[in-house]
Amino acid sequence: MASSEFRLRVRYGKVARLRWLSHLEVIHALERSIRRAGLNYAITQGFNPHMKVSFGPALPVGTAGENEYLDVWLTRYTDAAELLDKLRSTTPADLAPQEARYVADKEPSLGAALNIAKYSVDVTGEESEVRQVRAALEELVNTGTLSIEHKGKQKVFDLVRSLPKEPRVEDRDEGCSVLLAIRMGPEGSLRPEMLVREALRGATLSAVVAHTTRSDLLIENDEGVWTRPV
Amino acid sequence: MTYASLWPRVEEHIGRVERPSRYIDREWGARHDEDAGYRSVLIYPDTYEIGQANQAIAILYGQLNALDDVYAERAYLPWLDMIGEMREAGIPLFSLESCSPVREFDLVGITVPYELTYSNILETLDLAGIPLRAENRSESDPLVVGGGPSVYNPEPFAPFFDAILIGEGEEAVADIVATHRAAKAAGSSRAELLRHLAGIPGVYVPSLYAVRTHADGTYAGTTPIDAAPACVIKRVVADLDAVRAPVDTIVPFMDVVHDRYGLEVLRGCSRGCRFCQAGMVYRPVRERSADTIVRDVMSGLACTGYDEVSLTSLSTTDHSQIEEVLRRLRRRLEGSGVSVSLPSLRVDSFGVEMARLISAGGKKSGLTLAPEAGTQRMRDVINKNVTEEALLESVTAAFEAGWRRVKLYFMIGLPTETDADVSAIGQLVNKVLAVAREATPPGARGSVRVAVSVSTFVPKAQTPFQWEPQIALDEVHRRHGILRDTMPRKGVELHYHDAEVSFLEGVMARGGRAVADSIEEAWRSGARFDAWTERFQLGRWLDAFAATGVDPQAIANRERSTDEPLVWQHISAGVSARYLVRERERAFAEKTTPDCSFVGCTSCDVCDELGVDVVLGGASRG
Repeated sequence: MASSEFRLRVRYGKVARLRWLSHLEVIHALERSIRRAGLNYAITQGFNPHMKVSFGPALPVGTAGENEYLDVWLTRYTDAAELLDKLRSTTPADLAPQEARYVADKEPSLGAALNIAKYSVDVTGEESEVRQVRAALEELVNTGTLSIEHKGKQKVFDLVRSLPKEPRVEDRDEGCSVLLAIRMGPEGSLRPEMLVREALRGATLSAVVAHTTRSDLLIENDEGVWTRPV
Repeated sequence: MTYASLWPRVEEHIGRVERPSRYIDREWGARHDEDAGYRSVLIYPDTYEIGQANQAIAILYGQLNALDDVYAERAYLPWLDMIGEMREAGIPLFSLESCSPVREFDLVGITVPYELTYSNILETLDLAGIPLRAENRSESDPLVVGGGPSVYNPEPFAPFFDAILIGEGEEAVADIVATHRAAKAAGSSRAELLRHLAGIPGVYVPSLYAVRTHADGTYAGTTPIDAAPACVIKRVVADLDAVRAPVDTIVPFMDVVHDRYGLEVLRGCSRGCRFCQAGMVYRPVRERSADTIVRDVMSGLACTGYDEVSLTSLSTTDHSQIEEVLRRLRRRLEGSGVSVSLPSLRVDSFGVEMARLISAGGKKSGLTLAPEAGTQRMRDVINKNVTEEALLESVTAAFEAGWRRVKLYFMIGLPTETDADVSAIGQLVNKVLAVAREATPPGARGSVRVAVSVSTFVPKAQTPFQWEPQIALDEVHRRHGILRDTMPRKGVELHYHDAEVSFLEGVMARGGRAVADSIEEAWRSGARFDAWTERFQLGRWLDAFAATGVDPQAIANRERSTDEPLVWQHISAGVSARYLVRERERAFAEKTTPDCSFVGCTSCDVCDELGVDVVLGGASRG
């Protein structure tokens, strides 16, 4: 890593309609925002030179994110607040950057560091009252594991490991929201809406999952302390 | 006037379909001006990823939105999964920006890009809830206007449009909107509006033209009704530099076709290839100046944030200042990771030199050359002024410069073609392979590839070959057999354009107004997305022709006499019939005609007819 480079960490959202973007689409859109903003980004060496930028864990199509992160390496130091203003003026509103700070080059990558994701899963329709959904979730969580078939493959999640906090269920205008913290791992992470759907199915509730939002991405250190990456 | 957004209803469905980003709008560069008094929507009748980068729509979107109190939005045909969802839920076709029903707009502009999109035009109209035929539209329906590359024989789709713009839209679109607004203000009827529109140069109003037939049903002529002009002559822009190219274009989220900033560096091509409709109908050549190009590329990249720019045109390496442009861009873009690409290359070492210039220091883009035919005789007939020597020289230069793969375009079924001409394609490919291997270091010779793409010649309206028969399907298959037998195997990837697709293209390219019935019948029996290979079924079309009494072979495979009336003769691209006939005669005499932008005038009459001139490097040749 060149010592003359400056690593800028940007916190942004993926909200409203833009929840429907794929991870690749988000990457391309934000790279283009960075170019429009005229940031002095570093270029990778190699056969096909491109912007030196790195993103946090992918969000699926349809899932919103309120606090997502990217790192971009710059060749010139400019005040981070100034860069944030520039980026905000060149990014579609529903992907807008909210914060920008320089981080040390020796810090681990976002992908390696971020290991906790908080979600809010909106449940709607008939039989979506808080007490019904809460009971359904408790029943599933108490079994200790969740087995999900995805693209023809069976995957088993250890819910004690995957759910570091007790899920909470809160009242909402139309139905309720399930608030979850999920521990991410290199072997693949539990999809929160899968957990909720499985719980609803197990309890034979007719409620459905409307929207899923990743509300936060956090770093859990060796002492079990959770912090934001900026 | 604002309309209720369909978005909440649309969003209920997009989680269940492929690639929801086709439907969400909110891209960088999308305009929002929902209070405008006049609302228009520009539609590309295929999916978002196919149509989004269309430069004509980008130009018109910019021009319309720049007009006072006028708002232009975009719409695309949703993919089949979404169409299914929408039809079931009763959601009509919607615009992207405001998510309004297309049928509630004042003006619906539909681009007609290609013969195989005609069924999609009907799907677009039907999904929008607009009557398919102009004659069935009421005062409350929008004005449906077509335009685009396929309008030089508009007859097969003419009944589906209220008006069709022949030629370039930069200036004409403002005339159409002004006329429509004036008619609305005056409370004019739809019929009165159409008569006014027919008075705008370049605007064809099909309902004001009666098609006459002989007793045996064959075509006799087309007669204007009322004051409609006897011949609609295409619109052109005299000076491209006078019309600012769109630099703040929409930047899609989705990975689309041509996902890069495109700047049109010149319009028209006068190389004079006799098979080529684009070369005949986009005349004369008008170049943007090097200064304008460099300025617009830099501001386009700054506005869009793209990491690639394409210098587009029919033949970019023919630009008189291309070398200067590429050198200046290379200097300006150094160290930014932004690359420059050219859509096509000349078959000579200059073309390869230009490819080297743009790929220096970056990745090598694909190298595509179009010799079109296997023998010099055949190339002289079509006026493809390329020699075998030049082709082999450019292949040598390319492989010496590090390319390991070249793609070659050929056509079969050209007028006067013999079996010897077809088998010569294989022999030429063999020579190309030999020089490519020769120019490659011995250790790397195993990776040398020549991709050969062979299409079937489809005679097009407004060209010197507009009277020629297209070879029949059986004959195409037989000539494919010759190709297979004579083509070297090792190192060659041979690909044919589907013969059945070419046949339908041929029927649409020269069909008359009766073909509209066949298109409607085929659409009713399920034809749509015909340009998507896996969706195309010739059988459905043959049934539709039979059901509507149209003989497709009589359209595609019949030789026409040069004194027989042509179904598109009331439409003119400015090139005179006299020139087309002369070029046809020269073709059969195997005589070539030079490019008028390099030598003197070759009398195609387009400049006199349209009152314009060839513009090189931004300056009129005078």
